[in-house]
Amino acid sequence: MLHARHVSFAYRAGGPRVIDDVSVAIAPGELVGVLGPNGSGKTTLLKMLSGTLTPSAGTIQFDRRPLSGWKRRELARRIALVPQDTYAPFDFTVLDIVLMGRYPHLGTFALEGPADLLIARQALASTGMSSFEDRSFATLSGGEKQRVVIASALAQRPELLLLDEPTASLDLGNQLDVQLLLAGLNRDGGVTMVLSTHDLNLAAALCRHLILLGHGRVVAQGPTEDVLTPDTVRALYGVEADIHRHPIAGHLTVTPLARVP
Amino acid sequence: MTRTLLLILLMVPNVAAPAPRPERIVSLVPAATEMIYAMGEGARVAAVSTYDHFPADVARLPKVGGLLDPSVERILAIKPDLVVVYTTQKDLIERLDRAGIPYFTYEHRALADIMTTMRAIGTRIGSAARADAAASEMERSLADIRAKTAGLPHPATLLVFERDPASLRNVYASGGYGFLHDMLEIAGGRNVFADVKQQAVQASTEMLLTSKPDVIVELLYGESLKNADIPRTLRAWDALASVPAVRAHRVSALTGDEFVVPGPRVVDATRRLARAIHPDVFK
Amino acid sequence: MPLIRKRLIVTLTGFGLLLLAALVTGPLVGSTHISLARVFDRSLPFADNTDAQIFFIARLPRVLAAALVGAALAAAGVVFQALLRNPLATPDTLGVSSGAALGAMLAITFHVDVALGGIPSIPLASFAGSIGAFGIVYALASARRRGLSTILLLLAGVTMTAFFQALILFTQYLADFTDTFRTVRWLMGTLDVGSYAPILAALPFVLVAFAMLATLPRALDLISLGTDAAAARGVNVVVAERLALASASLATGAAVSLAGPVGFIGLVVPHLVRLVVGSDHRLVLPASALFGAAFLIGCDAVARTVWSAGELPVGIVTALIGGPFFLWLLVRK
Repeated sequence: MLHARHVSFAYRAGGPRVIDDVSVAIAPGELVGVLGPNGSGKTTLLKMLSGTLTPSAGTIQFDRRPLSGWKRRELARRIALVPQDTYAPFDFTVLDIVLMGRYPHLGTFALEGPADLLIARQALASTGMSSFEDRSFATLSGGEKQRVVIASALAQRPELLLLDEPTASLDLGNQLDVQLLLAGLNRDGGVTMVLSTHDLNLAAALCRHLILLGHGRVVAQGPTEDVLTPDTVRALYGVEADIHRHPIAGHLTVTPLARVP
Repeated sequence: MTRTLLLILLMVPNVAAPAPRPERIVSLVPAATEMIYAMGEGARVAAVSTYDHFPADVARLPKVGGLLDPSVERILAIKPDLVVVYTTQKDLIERLDRAGIPYFTYEHRALADIMTTMRAIGTRIGSAARADAAASEMERSLADIRAKTAGLPHPATLLVFERDPASLRNVYASGGYGFLHDMLEIAGGRNVFADVKQQAVQASTEMLLTSKPDVIVELLYGESLKNADIPRTLRAWDALASVPAVRAHRVSALTGDEFVVPGPRVVDATRRLARAIHPDVFK
Repeated sequence: MPLIRKRLIVTLTGFGLLLLAALVTGPLVGSTHISLARVFDRSLPFADNTDAQIFFIARLPRVLAAALVGAALAAAGVVFQALLRNPLATPDTLGVSSGAALGAMLAITFHVDVALGGIPSIPLASFAGSIGAFGIVYALASARRRGLSTILLLLAGVTMTAFFQALILFTQYLADFTDTFRTVRWLMGTLDVGSYAPILAALPFVLVAFAMLATLPRALDLISLGTDAAAARGVNVVVAERLALASASLATGAAVSLAGPVGFIGLVVPHLVRLVVGSDHRLVLPASALFGAAFLIGCDAVARTVWSAGELPVGIVTALIGGPFFLWLLVRK
């Protein structure tokens, strides 16, 4: 579905590369996690995959067409991006925010109709935020905001959902909510997902495939069990960790033990 | 004894012991400069303000700044024994006090005060007789003009001294106070804004229309006079085609800074104003 | 909540009627009493009909100028607030107003008297100043090839404003007494245009600005939530931001050239409108233009009737209303 081949990115020509010769492939239906320490280029990679940043080198193809060949709105109807934080400087309601997700499907002067309203409400329902429809977005808690923003992305009816640190500022309960939400959307809704996170346990719990980034390079990528090993964790984070499958949860868990000198 | 009494009567605030006959006078007030020259004592003027342009002699005198920006340094360098200042130049006065330099304070008021001030300056610089003669001559000339216009009908007149170039925005006209208004009355005009108790009136378009002047006189002077195409300037009034003065083609301009310097040339200015309002009487 | 289409119709109709009412009653208000019957009395020749003269030469141009300036400044305010993602942004924030003020100041101080195409020097210089300021801010903020950086934009704007203000002070210092007085008066803003020519001169620029703005409202909604998210949704952020900056600057420049810097319209009107219609820019932008026009017509009516010995500059009226309004907003929060 989405292929990145030898992509690099630098903010200035000849400047330091934030992403260096990265090649990834996302197949339909996958739930992929992009892992790495701060500054490893996760957000940059995600932005390039969504088409908002142009690589300095290499190509990215969606549906076998290079991203540059897609019209913006056309691409936005297939790929949606959920940014890490959303700050609303104006007093938008929750429904206002979600309806903005319909933009790629409407023309410049087109107004949302009953069909769009229905889709927006469905998106809100799937994130459990229906009762918040008329609330002011700015008054919501971090977790509630995040779920609204995800609903807004879902209103785009994308095939591919890119999420940048979706649980970074959430507490345990909200984290679990979002985790289950995303798992459900992928499993039942067939939405392909790529999410970036620095939370190893979230990645292990949620994602079946992982891409490990270190200093803008791919350190390892593939099925979670193959990629998430004490060696890779040591190489990436400088931490000695214990990794084993949790007896009840059923997925890998990562427990840091010591700093590696 | 008489001299002391005279000084007290003049009510001129002056702290330092005044020189009876100052020989190095610095004048920051163009009107005062002209008065001093009119009473024949121009030789005693050592420096003038940056805004002094009359008489021609002042061109070669050193300049010491003006109302807002007097240069104390330059004034002191002249070593004056009398400085003519505006009453509002409080900082300068304070410094002159500290330096022990005598000063004469001038205040800009109505037409009649011009002659009073002239006599006061004359007394102050020890030239009372000549000052009195010059002032009396002015009074006679003005009375002359007034007599000539007394029997004539006084048309409603708008006297404009400021506006935006090439448009009728921000028009400033003479109100019912001040020497422009006094000049206008003597010259035989009836100020349309006579009942506004201010020296300057900012006239909006509506005010211009409701005041219905029969004669409009515009004063042009200073910077705005350079490169001025007077017919083109006056054409701006055509925008108010319904005003009586515009309809009757009685819009004229008078140029020269004697209209804004309330000094001896006010007589000439009044005469020119009278000619603009009553062209058939004043040739 | 009803759909956007219905809300748009209701909003535009409501504010449109308000503006219509203001346009109709505006010219009737004034320090001189005039009668509408006499104004339209054809039997009286125009030259003799004082009521008609006052209506058509003194008042109607003012009302139309107020409508144009109010609409332009309010719309510009909405756009600047969206562009800078800050509801406290105004048309003055990015230096356009200061550029216009400097232009006018220079024309007044140096007694420039060149009229181009019938437009006198002060409005001309003012407009040139505003475009100059816009150009500099735009160039500075576009240094990065990927569109306008908001931070750079703000920094450039604030810096230009400070720089221009310094130049304005310097010019005032150089000016003589009467010129300083005139520049201070110009800074207070006045709608007494006295004829239709200045309005017709400013109109094309405002119309062009509005045409540029017409495609932006939804994009502004999305951009205000973040440029990455907006870009990912299909908004051409670079083009939208440049268009927003250019159109809002053009509208501001034309308005300030016509009436001087009338403050608070760009700040108060969008806020008031948002209280009524919500934050969707497709509603806020047109409603602000309509309400801005009506609001300024009202302020101008106050400006010319509250003072018996003349008129208050309209900028003072808007400031006297705007200031307390802002205090109230702050207290509310």
